[in-house]
Amino acid sequence: MKLTGFDLAEFRAGLDAWLDENASELAPAPGADDALAGEITQINKVKRLAWEAGWMRYGWPEQVGGLGGSTLLRGYLGEALAMRDLVKPGFWTMHEMLAPVVIAYGSPSLAAEVVPPFLRGDEMWCQGFSEPSTGSNLGSLACRAVRTDAGWRVTGQKVWTSLAHLSQRCLLLTRTGTPESAHRGITALLVDTDTSGMTIRPFQTMHGVEEFSEVFFDDALVPYSRTLGEENDGWSVAMDLLPFERSTSMWLRNAYLYTRLQRLVSTAPEGAVSAAALGDVLAQVFAFRAQSRITQYRLAAGEHLGPETSVDKILLSTTEQSVFDLAAESLPGEVLFDDSDDASKWRSEFLYSRAATIYGGSLEIQRNIVARRLLDLGAES
Amino acid sequence: MQANERDLFAATLREAATAHRGGSLDDVLAPMGWSDAYEDDPRAAVPVLFELQGELNASSSALAAVVGSTVLPLAGGSAAPASIGGPGLVVRGLGFGGSFTGETIDLVASSSRGHQRVTVSTSALTIRAVDGIDPSLGLVEVSTASPVHPGAGPLFDWPAAVSSAQLALAHQLVGAARAMLSLARDHAVDRVQGGRAIASYQAVRHRLADSYVAVQAASSATTAAWEVPSPLASTVAKLLAGRAARLGAGHAQQVLGAMGFTEEHVFHHYLRRVLVLDELFGSARALAEDLGRQALETKQLPQLLPL
Repeated sequence: MKLTGFDLAEFRAGLDAWLDENASELAPAPGADDALAGEITQINKVKRLAWEAGWMRYGWPEQVGGLGGSTLLRGYLGEALAMRDLVKPGFWTMHEMLAPVVIAYGSPSLAAEVVPPFLRGDEMWCQGFSEPSTGSNLGSLACRAVRTDAGWRVTGQKVWTSLAHLSQRCLLLTRTGTPESAHRGITALLVDTDTSGMTIRPFQTMHGVEEFSEVFFDDALVPYSRTLGEENDGWSVAMDLLPFERSTSMWLRNAYLYTRLQRLVSTAPEGAVSAAALGDVLAQVFAFRAQSRITQYRLAAGEHLGPETSVDKILLSTTEQSVFDLAAESLPGEVLFDDSDDASKWRSEFLYSRAATIYGGSLEIQRNIVARRLLDLGAES
Repeated sequence: MQANERDLFAATLREAATAHRGGSLDDVLAPMGWSDAYEDDPRAAVPVLFELQGELNASSSALAAVVGSTVLPLAGGSAAPASIGGPGLVVRGLGFGGSFTGETIDLVASSSRGHQRVTVSTSALTIRAVDGIDPSLGLVEVSTASPVHPGAGPLFDWPAAVSSAQLALAHQLVGAARAMLSLARDHAVDRVQGGRAIASYQAVRHRLADSYVAVQAASSATTAAWEVPSPLASTVAKLLAGRAARLGAGHAQQVLGAMGFTEEHVFHHYLRRVLVLDELFGSARALAEDLGRQALETKQLPQLLPL
């Protein structure tokens, strides 16, 4: 099925039918555990099947094997997969966020080489931004890349790099200017994770998952063909990730929260859930959705997305915590004490939701952006 | 209306309403043909007027026109303001004072055959001013001393009228929340303490940022309710707008400090207004509880907004 141009209704009907027809093939393999590697296997399987059937290719340009069309189609694909509980929201974000900047900033031949395997589930990528001394203040990063005859020679450390040990490539921000050059002296590179001199050491989150890693670079050599954008213009690459981190993948995250709230409503015993609290959380899910819907259409219309998407991030993070706070308050016996699969899933999700106001620019950073850029309150003291 | 006509309509209305600040906007709306604009294109007429009313803390009887009933439900709920039973028609509701100058009014009543719109002689009604916390809103309580017997009226889609009212009130609350945020923002930038504008302190900035996010979310919900209309969308828009207004009032009051606590400062008029508006057609608290109860009874969340 090849859609011409933008037709969300046609895409929706066709995709829904395909997902229904292939439900058993798309479902996680029997006996697959909830461990991270199993989830990556699942997401890659779904991507592969959806790529082969064409659905994964809509909304992406032809130069990377796409079939064109609006980014709204990608948003709906994510929603449809989340509503059927086929993929985890966090991992779906990776290609939605990283592939567009490689298309925009990489050479055409690099994009054509590396993006299709990512979209069709042959690869996972990670984002090497944060460092031990660089959390919210990205402009202070220190991981150094030096020009040599053979390419960039990278030395330094990254941390909190989600999925690094399960990834084939890493979008890395490096310091190429002087230490004082701040955001003006950063260069973005796409590095293969099997590069010699690169060591990845995963560690556990508090919800018991080896989700992120420390990544060490010790004279790792990266070809110049892997430079994204101009030298010292990596800040633009990082900033251009934002529209994607805050748009197509957020639509899936909203659908995911809706499915979890629905699960709570359909399984909680009589009297366990406060009606007033549920109504408020439902309204928050709606608000996040209404806000995100406007952003989806702005992205699809080619509008520039800027600081106003901090509102989307704030609504995502606060809504996510509200959903799982409600679950934990309503089902204390399960979330705190039970070890059944269902209870373990609630517990893991509740614990994971604590990070929602920390990653991707903390809640405080988002409020600072709103205050400075949207309310024009001037500089902070 | 075309986009340029909408802009012109909005600009004209703003100019007239600003000049008329303080009183009822009814005198402004009639010559402008707001009712015709409303019949013709509610999506153009409602957001513009009601956000302006919120922003300027102005009042009009336009809500009655949106509902299609001169008498509105009592505060706290959305039940029709009158009922027709054995003894006849009994009225108990609210209205805007200026709406009862003619010989008759139309109102919506529940009855065994559904909601009907009936015409009632104003002489049969007892009308008492409701001053309460917000006298300048111009609300009156309307009741019948004894049952009256109007002729049968046409059947009326009351739930649709409730949705329209909730959406209009959501716009008014959004307008008021924006106005309070703007008052607080300007004060924070101007007011110097400890040698710096208080807007430079993170405690102040984050309060205002939270107000901004809440009002933006409510505003996006009103947009959704126009683009993909549903009873749920209007209800949630009203709920979010009520929450945003209450949160925004609290943050604005705190940032305004002692100045915002004076009679002279305009802030308290907004505080009074949003507390009353939140109660009309269901408070945020009551609407949240209703939404939650329905979902728990059916064990099914309502369908949310499609892409």
